[in-house]
Amino acid sequence: MASALRRPRSVLTLATCVLLAAPAQAETLTVWGGWPDLAPFYQRVGEQLKAKHPDLVVNVELVPLREHEKRLALSLPSGSGGDVIEMETEASRYLEAGLVPEPPKAVTDFVRVNYDGTRLKTATFDGKIYGVPLFQGHGALFYNTDMFAKAGLTAPPATMGQYTEYAKKLVQRDAAGNPVVSGWSLRLSGGGSGIAEKWWTILYNMDGRLLDEKDGKWRAAYASPEGRAAVKLYLDNVQSDRTVLPEMKADAEAFELGQTAMFIRESWVIGDIAKKAPGLHYATAALPKGTLMVPVDLYVPSKGAKAALAYEYVMQANTPENLVWLTEQTGWVPNRTGIDYATAIATAPGIAAFVTPANPQVFFTPPPIAPASEILTRLAARLEKAYVDKSLPGNDAAIDAMLKTAADETDRILAREDLLMKP
Amino acid sequence: MTAGIGRRHGRGFAVAALLPVLAIFTLLRIYPIVETLRLSLFQWNIISRRKPFVGLDNFAELRTDPLFLDAIVNTTLIAFGVLLVTVPVALVLAAMIQARAGTRRAGFYEAAIFLPHIVSLVPAAMAWKWVFDAKLGPLNAALGLVGIPAQPWLFDPVLSLLCLVVLCSWQAVGYAVLVFLVGLKNIPASMYEAARLDGASAVQLFRHVAVPLLRPVILFVSVVTLISAYNVYAQAFVLASDAQGAPGHLVRVLVLDMLENSFRNYRVGYAAAEAVVLLGIVLVLTGVQFRLLRARA
Repeated sequence: MASALRRPRSVLTLATCVLLAAPAQAETLTVWGGWPDLAPFYQRVGEQLKAKHPDLVVNVELVPLREHEKRLALSLPSGSGGDVIEMETEASRYLEAGLVPEPPKAVTDFVRVNYDGTRLKTATFDGKIYGVPLFQGHGALFYNTDMFAKAGLTAPPATMGQYTEYAKKLVQRDAAGNPVVSGWSLRLSGGGSGIAEKWWTILYNMDGRLLDEKDGKWRAAYASPEGRAAVKLYLDNVQSDRTVLPEMKADAEAFELGQTAMFIRESWVIGDIAKKAPGLHYATAALPKGTLMVPVDLYVPSKGAKAALAYEYVMQANTPENLVWLTEQTGWVPNRTGIDYATAIATAPGIAAFVTPANPQVFFTPPPIAPASEILTRLAARLEKAYVDKSLPGNDAAIDAMLKTAADETDRILAREDLLMKP
Repeated sequence: MTAGIGRRHGRGFAVAALLPVLAIFTLLRIYPIVETLRLSLFQWNIISRRKPFVGLDNFAELRTDPLFLDAIVNTTLIAFGVLLVTVPVALVLAAMIQARAGTRRAGFYEAAIFLPHIVSLVPAAMAWKWVFDAKLGPLNAALGLVGIPAQPWLFDPVLSLLCLVVLCSWQAVGYAVLVFLVGLKNIPASMYEAARLDGASAVQLFRHVAVPLLRPVILFVSVVTLISAYNVYAQAFVLASDAQGAPGHLVRVLVLDMLENSFRNYRVGYAAAEAVVLLGIVLVLTGVQFRLLRARA
């Protein structure tokens, strides 16, 4: 062997044999997302596409959302991101920078026909469609029907005032009066923008607004009587009535463990309950007026033949069959209109409040402006402190001052980005 | 003549041998620092094509940014807390292990104390999160046995800082002990013998012989511990992050604030200004430590 390798002709023959023996180069498509629970869905779509393209290899690379945001920020500007990528409202930054090309006309025509105005708006920048909406996160009430029955409650709360009244009836306390099962699990800590997003939904259901917009300019609108009422609702629950405490287990985990009677969350909780607490007796209900909706759209940053294949994948992901499967398996609600969810509702009745709510819902989205996340994160930091601030309960002036300081900060951020609406 | 040529050859060889290392050091250490200094003077949005020069505007904004001010206070408290806990504890532990040098258990003690330093940070922080859990944690259970009411360790702003100091110190102590042990082993036995002849007790040996002779090592450990503690991030994040139901009060620290400004707010120039402030703080504190400990030495 060693002597054969010393002869150029032998080496050439050997190399040719190796090349001929190697399989044809496989086409690779990489899917990037920030919701790891969607891996089976993306893999399923990949398998379906492989029926048409036998050599296709689909790499599904899903990481937690914050990590996903980081890798997008680092990779997209250098043109090294995935071929199909999930993006929320941060997409506007990349679209503004020209980092995502326009899709083919067939794709934009599909989007224009199959999605309603709110969803269409999230995939559009500067009047042009760039993304294909896939699924959305919007809130609804999850409530433990056993605990409701025990408290003599026969229907879900219909106003935000009723939410607090229900929480007082539902909270379970120990002998010393300390809550051991929260009446209403509110998002009180943990950092990030989530605290402000949850507060925003409650503010909206109390007739308040986070921001006002006119001609592409914005201004903080939450330093208002409605804003004060929304903060007081939290203070009542956390400090006055103590229906929930920051140190109590919270969110889906608390609900699945029977440590809270109700909470507001997105539809993915349905899939989570099916896996972790299949015996839990619960129901869902739409919120009184509306909810923050965070759309997740698919974008294709690549060009040429790779882009054509990527769009084929995106379109395959959005077939009605796949979207119903997505809902049934994960609980996430797709954005496409005209989908028949009958089988999904039969499998998981909780889906109904998300896809066919009993009362009309207004969906509002985070503003498609560059500093949206910064505005929410900074407001969240102030709210987190406010919820446990002992000087605030019963002190409207102090609550107003806190909201005014926060709103001024929001306006300063908007002014810095040349987005501030003149009063 | 021959000796001169030899010296020149030797110097040439030394320079040639050092060049690759210096090049790598410059590329990986010096260049990023210089680039960070440059970025801090720009409104450098990570994806925007327009990146105007703004001079010291980023630094001016930092002075009134409540999140940054929170972060700098928290980080400083954590860093000094870790320094104050780690150095004395590590010194005492090292002396105790050194006193048992040669016994069968000495190796076990060294390994046991060093273990937290090499344990992966995230699972370790998760374990500590359970220890500090207000409802189910063993710490509150133990306090309950002696009649102390349960504390919201991860939710109270002061207690959550304390938790971070404990976690960071737990991780830092192992390395500090190891370095102190090396220092202790290098102290000539004759020094101890002379002191013993003068009637010094074990505590006096430690206090009046070991500690003064260890000053350069204490300086090294203090500087490394302080710099490392100023870079605290993952511990704060894991203790507060929401693992679907178990969030905590997020102690805002400088690195966390930088990451948020860089990758969530896309304000790399502003985050670079924060990094420059952190660099300045660490340089000043290191200088102060050098002066204090060298002066006493």
